[in-house]
Amino acid sequence: MKKRKQIEEKFFRVLMFISTNLIVIILLLIIFSILYKGLPALSWSMISQTPKGGFYFGKEGGILNAIIGSLYLSIGSTLLATAIGLPVALFMNVILVKHKRFIDTIRFFLDLLWGIPSIVYGAFGFTIMIYFGIQTSLLAGIITVTLFIIPIMVRAMDEVLKTVPVGLLETSLSLGSTHSETAFKVFLRQASPGLVTAILLSFGRAIGDAASVLFTTGYTDHIPTSLGQPTATLPLSIFFQLSSPIEEVQERAYASAVVLTVIILVISVLARLYAKRYQKHKINF
Amino acid sequence: MKFRIGRHLRSRLHLIWMIISLMIVILLPFILGIGLYIKSTLLLEDKKFGELLFSSDWRPLSGHFGFLTFAISSVWVTVLALLIAGPICLLTAIHLTQYAKNWVLKIMHPVIDILAGIPSVIFGVWGILVIVPFISKVIAPMFGVETSGYTILTGAIVLAVMIIPFVLNILIDVFKMVPDELKEASLSLGASKWQTIKLVLLRKAIPGIISAFGLGVSRAFGETIAVLMVVGNVTKIPSGIFQPGYPLPALIANNYGEMLSIPMYDSALMLAALILFFVVLVFNFLSRVAIVRLEKHTS
Amino acid sequence: MKTNVITNFLILMTSAMVFQGCGPSGSDKSKVSGKLEGTISISGAFALYPMAVKWTEEFQKENPGVRIDISAGGAGKGMTDALSGMVDLGMVSREISQAEIDKGAWFIAVTKDAVMPTISTENPVLKDLQAKGFTKEIFQELFLTENPHTWGEFIDVPNTDKIIVYTRSDACGAAEMWGKYLGKNQESLRGVGVFGDPGIANAVKQDKFSIGFNNVNYAYDLKTRKNYEGMIVLPIDQNGNRTIDPEENFYGNLDSVMAAIQSGRYPSPPARDLYFVSNGKPVKPAVVAFLDWILSSGQQFVHEAGYVELSDTKISSEREKLK
Repeated sequence: MKKRKQIEEKFFRVLMFISTNLIVIILLLIIFSILYKGLPALSWSMISQTPKGGFYFGKEGGILNAIIGSLYLSIGSTLLATAIGLPVALFMNVILVKHKRFIDTIRFFLDLLWGIPSIVYGAFGFTIMIYFGIQTSLLAGIITVTLFIIPIMVRAMDEVLKTVPVGLLETSLSLGSTHSETAFKVFLRQASPGLVTAILLSFGRAIGDAASVLFTTGYTDHIPTSLGQPTATLPLSIFFQLSSPIEEVQERAYASAVVLTVIILVISVLARLYAKRYQKHKINF
Repeated sequence: MKFRIGRHLRSRLHLIWMIISLMIVILLPFILGIGLYIKSTLLLEDKKFGELLFSSDWRPLSGHFGFLTFAISSVWVTVLALLIAGPICLLTAIHLTQYAKNWVLKIMHPVIDILAGIPSVIFGVWGILVIVPFISKVIAPMFGVETSGYTILTGAIVLAVMIIPFVLNILIDVFKMVPDELKEASLSLGASKWQTIKLVLLRKAIPGIISAFGLGVSRAFGETIAVLMVVGNVTKIPSGIFQPGYPLPALIANNYGEMLSIPMYDSALMLAALILFFVVLVFNFLSRVAIVRLEKHTS
Repeated sequence: MKTNVITNFLILMTSAMVFQGCGPSGSDKSKVSGKLEGTISISGAFALYPMAVKWTEEFQKENPGVRIDISAGGAGKGMTDALSGMVDLGMVSREISQAEIDKGAWFIAVTKDAVMPTISTENPVLKDLQAKGFTKEIFQELFLTENPHTWGEFIDVPNTDKIIVYTRSDACGAAEMWGKYLGKNQESLRGVGVFGDPGIANAVKQDKFSIGFNNVNYAYDLKTRKNYEGMIVLPIDQNGNRTIDPEENFYGNLDSVMAAIQSGRYPSPPARDLYFVSNGKPVKPAVVAFLDWILSSGQQFVHEAGYVELSDTKISSEREKLK
């Protein structure tokens, strides 16, 4: 009897070891295959030029249109989402602190919203665009992506702000600050590294998502000079150019993949660093 | 005096800013749902919902909008993905929380976070580069099947890898929530570590496990780009995992271009988006409820 | 104070963004001191895409004040975008339907090309296929039904490799025209759906047992005038005698293919006129000028880009539409 139990335990332990390592291997495999295909395609001209002769077809040029377009889009939507998300997170944790049920309801709502696929936002954004007569443009893309990342941003910020000790709130109020001053001056400063992590993570989601920009932002060879123009984005640069039989066009897709992956990796690292700084930064009552 | 007024005004403005933002966030899901519903009504007026959902006749040019094919494809891919990811996540979560040394967990955290942050397109590229040839040249021949590699199975594998970080993170949290006292009590009664895990930990964590899987389902159901790139996009009910499929999100993404030229096509696609919205919402809801219940039980 | 800075910055950014031009037409000044200015947005068929890009390049040389954005997404998208006002011109590679005309579609023919059946150059029975070709009936059997077939079946060769059929997953003119040639439409086509003309070209290239269809300039390399490496056009046996006679054999290079399209030796459909579509007659000066230019100076670039020129009578009647 005992023998069988031991064998069973051993068996599962081996499986567990394999599955844990499997995950690491898969991650490395993904990064490796992207680099393998993408690094050879990466060159100075690739990241400093826009595609010539049409992005589907032309053999010269690079992906500058997608890089700049993605940066404009993601920075724009992250700022907008922060402008809406930060106050909500602060409101929940500073002003609503006593009304537990209200906060929990909002948190529940946010958790529900959090999982809604980006294509739903894209479809919705497209409908709105048609209704208002907005053409596929940077602006439409920014609005759609903003809506998409607001739940992510608020949830992440909420997690951070939750950990700020209530004592801080009480002390601040007892010293004569108003609620919103407490929120924006005290809590913000206290939680800032953690909030930066939240912003970075949302930025990462914004720059990498394709489904929300597929309908709304369009695609073009040029770098946008105003909000009303369509723009190329890195995810779509990959999606559209990957399946081309023309080598040079495919290369652009792989180069975009590498650039995007590198950006995400850098953001992950930064986000972790800020999270660590927040841990050290925290005051405990 | 001046300073006082300035301060209060600013505080007021901040408060207004916060409330407006809160309104936006709360109204968002309603606006989404209502907007999609309004666009879908055109089609819903014409045909009954049951008819639409359970018919596999998808010929928009002749006015037939049967969603069954896509719904079934979605279900296949999602269930398969969960079957693949589930055991891996369970095993890994148990390993990390019960057996592994601290440094392993420290390494796994960044690994999981990075995996979670990788954009969908990149998974699609990886799928095309690695998984598609793997299926068509290695796995399929093993079963004596000939295939292009663009199959339900391929989609499921890519999807599984994508949901692993989320499900895993939740499982880790869930297992950590089970109080140590319970485990210690079991051990002190003579059970082995493995028995403790099987009979105590897992049993206690069942609501949490279900919840984690539920959230995995909702993530998998809505994933668009990565699956679209590898799943084949053939409008036919798949007869096996080595057949191509056509999940609901792929339907929307592939056809939004044709939306306005064919009457009611845009309604149909919006309805598809609405269905997606609801399925995800329902699974999210049930999973969150399960987690809340678990928290109540274990605290 | 941190919040002050953030707040002020946000207000500045928002106002800058709002004022910079979020309207549908962006900056759109008409002829100022003889120079044409404005923006034109174009989207739609992959078929017209390379031609539109070439036209844009040449037009922008003469009119540097005009900025043109082109993206491809299939003819269906071109029509949708044009009708909804999302773009100024939609590229459409199939006939405009009555329903679309009722919705306000105004269209103008700008050039001609064709859809052709394509296979991989690694196909095991390539030589026999090139000598015998496939008839329309064979294509109908392959693309309209799901019956499995082998490559050897139709050319009387002992080969048992299964034929893998590819089609387009996006709503496009190519599939519509190919379907029309086979007597149906895009919806009736069966096969693995791949997005975009480049997509299906790539799928055909990678899979040696594949058969698909492509626009002529995604099958032929414009520079070399020969088929793109890895894929090749499967000749159509039009008279059904199971050989490709000399008059049916024009697939060797791009120019002879185009001559065949123009003279009608290649069937039409799948050869077709290519259109620009707009929601009602265009009024933007830049757009009108562009279309007029296309039908005059623009036609000289058609041949080089792998397309067939419109006949002179056709050109004059189309130009009438602009007036």
